[in-house]
Amino acid sequence: MKRLRAMIARLAGLFQKDFRDRELRDEFESHLEMHIDDNVRAGMSPEEARRQALVKFGGLEAAKESVRETARLRWIETTVQDIRYALRGLRLNPGFAATAILSLALGIGSSLAIFTVADNLLVRPLPYPGASELAMLFEVNPHRNFNHNVVSPGNYFDWKAQNTVFESIGGFFELHEVVSDGKRAEEIDGQAVSSDVLPLLRAQPVRGRVFTQQEDAADARVAVISYRLWQDWFGGDETVLGRTVQLNSRPFTIIGVLPPDFYFNSRSIDVWLTLGLNPSANLRKTQGRWMSTVARLKPGVSFKQAQAQMDAIGHRLEIAYPAFDKNWGINVEPMRDSLVGQVKTSLLVLLGAVALLLAVACANVANLLLARYSVRRREMAVRGALGAARWRLIRQLLTESLVLGLVGGILGILLAELAVSGLVALAPKELTHSVEVSFDARIIAFSFLLCIATSVLFGLAPALLASSGNLNRALHEESRLATGAGTRLRSWLVAAEIACSVALLAGAGLLFRTLLGLQAVDPGIKTDNVLTFRVGLPSVRYSEPQKRIDFFQRGVEQMKQLPGVRSASAVSYLPFNGLAAGTNVAIAGRPPAKPGEDLIATIRTVEPGYFSAMGIPFTSGRDFTAGDNQLSTPHRFIVNQEFVRKYMPGEEPVGKQISAWMDRDNPFGEIVGVVGDVKEGTLDHEPTPTVYYIHAHLSYGGMMFVLRADHNPLSLAGPARKIVQSLDPELTVADVRTMDTVVRETYARQQFSAVLLAGFSFASLLLAGIGIYGVLSYSVSQRTREIGVRVALGAEPGSIIRLVVSAGARLAVAGAAVGLAGALALSGLMKTLLFGIGPRDPLTFVAAPLVLLAVAMAASYVPARRAARLSPVEALRTE
Amino acid sequence: MLLWLTYMSASSQKTDVWQGTMALMVLKTLETMGPQHGYGIARRIEQISGDRLQLNYGSVYPALLRLEHEGAIRSEWGISENNRKAKYYRITRTGQKQLRRELASWEETSAIVARFLTAGEEMP
Repeated sequence: MKRLRAMIARLAGLFQKDFRDRELRDEFESHLEMHIDDNVRAGMSPEEARRQALVKFGGLEAAKESVRETARLRWIETTVQDIRYALRGLRLNPGFAATAILSLALGIGSSLAIFTVADNLLVRPLPYPGASELAMLFEVNPHRNFNHNVVSPGNYFDWKAQNTVFESIGGFFELHEVVSDGKRAEEIDGQAVSSDVLPLLRAQPVRGRVFTQQEDAADARVAVISYRLWQDWFGGDETVLGRTVQLNSRPFTIIGVLPPDFYFNSRSIDVWLTLGLNPSANLRKTQGRWMSTVARLKPGVSFKQAQAQMDAIGHRLEIAYPAFDKNWGINVEPMRDSLVGQVKTSLLVLLGAVALLLAVACANVANLLLARYSVRRREMAVRGALGAARWRLIRQLLTESLVLGLVGGILGILLAELAVSGLVALAPKELTHSVEVSFDARIIAFSFLLCIATSVLFGLAPALLASSGNLNRALHEESRLATGAGTRLRSWLVAAEIACSVALLAGAGLLFRTLLGLQAVDPGIKTDNVLTFRVGLPSVRYSEPQKRIDFFQRGVEQMKQLPGVRSASAVSYLPFNGLAAGTNVAIAGRPPAKPGEDLIATIRTVEPGYFSAMGIPFTSGRDFTAGDNQLSTPHRFIVNQEFVRKYMPGEEPVGKQISAWMDRDNPFGEIVGVVGDVKEGTLDHEPTPTVYYIHAHLSYGGMMFVLRADHNPLSLAGPARKIVQSLDPELTVADVRTMDTVVRETYARQQFSAVLLAGFSFASLLLAGIGIYGVLSYSVSQRTREIGVRVALGAEPGSIIRLVVSAGARLAVAGAAVGLAGALALSGLMKTLLFGIGPRDPLTFVAAPLVLLAVAMAASYVPARRAARLSPVEALRTE
Repeated sequence: MLLWLTYMSASSQKTDVWQGTMALMVLKTLETMGPQHGYGIARRIEQISGDRLQLNYGSVYPALLRLEHEGAIRSEWGISENNRKAKYYRITRTGQKQLRRELASWEETSAIVARFLTAGEEMP
């Protein structure tokens, strides 16, 4: 408060000081000249006359300073007086004050919260020096609509060798590691990185160093650990460098510790290992696309130039390796775009929504102030007649709105602080996992600016209006009639509020319809009562495939015995949980596919019973049996309907031989069953052709257990963990979730935006309702006499109600029409957020204005009924 | 009685008394003479006091500013009798009320003081 007052004083001083000083100089000059004239007339020489005048005046500078001092004192006194007066005024009108302050707090609070999140994600620099030069490189395949595909190591090495636009390119991928010291074990997230990655991010270890090229090439057993791991597992011990840490039962030597705030791609990484890739091997033959790449532009090179050169390189590779690279290209993307990704559109929509809400809140407050000032016109007129200067009145009105703005603003900041923590908790993981969201001082400063701007803006119009015009006329007006201009302005404001509310409501409607649409999609599995968790086997102790096969066979068998478990199985990648493997497939008896036209399928490896545990129906054939799940039995496959539809239309798939290239040898095997489709990745994605392996023939060391329970699946987590640890005490159970949660997380973003937008539109509906109510009840009180005359002349209550309600309806219809037009023009921006409906969904665009009209009618009905109940005698007696 | 009136800084303890007196004299001057500029007001105060009040002319200006802020007087630029541009001050209705109020209180105060002083002289 004190700081604010000082600031206002300084601001006002800036405007007034120059003017006042000039005025004072002129006045003193004219004073001296008159004195000199008199002295000369009295017979002095001009010099003497001047000297005498100056002496008599008593020092020009001292006099000026004294005047200035007086002005300053006056200023502070008046301000204190104004503030005291404003506070008294607000105390006397608690309803007005509460509505105005709440409107402001709501508007400022919500916009601040969204702004904080947007600022963190979109504006604030990434925590790497020179972050604007960082890029993520992806492979793209326009024919298959892949824009952000992982990268082939073969291509990666050719990019590194051929490009001249990047300082360096690094490869990485993320993995799970079980860290243990013999006493306790914990699963942590790790990143395998080439030696380029940490240096190009300019990561500065707090202890030790990062990987050398030799260590990377030799895949040396060295590790860089996170600050958290250093503190938790090594107690922050200074001798940690050179010590050994057991990761997946293999010993690694710790060579460095990264700072606590360092992260890359995911915030949860606790250990960095070498990628250990070498360019020599024929990587395109032995490996598919599986790694991620990050690069730093050379200074002065633009993203456009980099993209152009990478396009050329991609084209050369297409020609050189048609079998592998036909139709594949390269996408150079600024790192922020990659990290923020799709969230950007959601956030921009939310920012727009918040701007609308803020506009509604401000219009509402301006409206309230206008109403208040039209009532107080007479008081202003009296004070004006008694000699109060006009600027003085304006200043007092402005002080009042500043006080309102400030109180509302402080409440708003508190609200925003609550909202931000709520937002981050509610927000989809993808929004918060790669970027930190924090509430900082700059944002508080921004909000103060916002408060002051808003209060001055909405305070000035009413103040000018209330103090303008002929004060005499206002005094002589027999009743508290407002100027026509004031009422018109208020009607405009209400119409604008309605327009903004319709636009908000339409946006919220679209997102809600999307959400409902997504929830109505059949995912292809039965998600209720399914528990999932991951178990990863350390590759050292489980290098023998038979050991891995046995472990999961035994695990599934024992899980089935748990009371409350209906069926149990395991799968390599859960549906709706991000990544899944994909590869080329071949169908026996067909000529090899032309380059770029290969058959591609998603690959999952499962234990028997997976389909019944997940609730995926068989359309023909049978499930895998325990007999299939043995190294010695021939390969057998199960495919989904989409696979048949796309690659074997019109054929009987069961009994056909196919092969999927997941390993060195990929023998053909018989299709034993066809199962229903499961959506891939998210609910709005179509299912992809999928081939299911039996675990024995694709024996992953990390699998997701899937347990279908009678009820309350989470209660099985404890017993399941006991089984895992009875099989191998060093194993950990990670990512314990229900399938419902897994699926819900895929539309968390839409849900998040829909809930927020719904909140905003509710608030704005409320505000618009208050606005209409305010304007109409004021106009009713203003027209009390006229209505009294009408009633006295025999008007029915119904016709009076119609009179008032139709005034409200006119405002609402005009506002709704504008809002509708605006919303239709803007909704195209939301296209990527929608599912199942177009951006001009008719239902939404009919419902939104209707809801608003209903609210407007309700808000007008209250003052209308009051008007209809007026007794003519009393009405005519008012003033 | 000889009063030496010099500029008082805002921090001076006597400011209020001085400002009150000066304001009263300014208002009275403006009421009797009609609109007048600062120089004219200062001269008039000096003349009325029969030159017993040694006044720095510059000291009327803070008082004028204060009165203007209080709404007791208003100012506008005009032309003096000698064809000089000058800022004229005029008393407002608020100012007249304030003057009457302060005159009454001044008279009461001086009456009390006078009675007190006379009573003192009668003491044996």
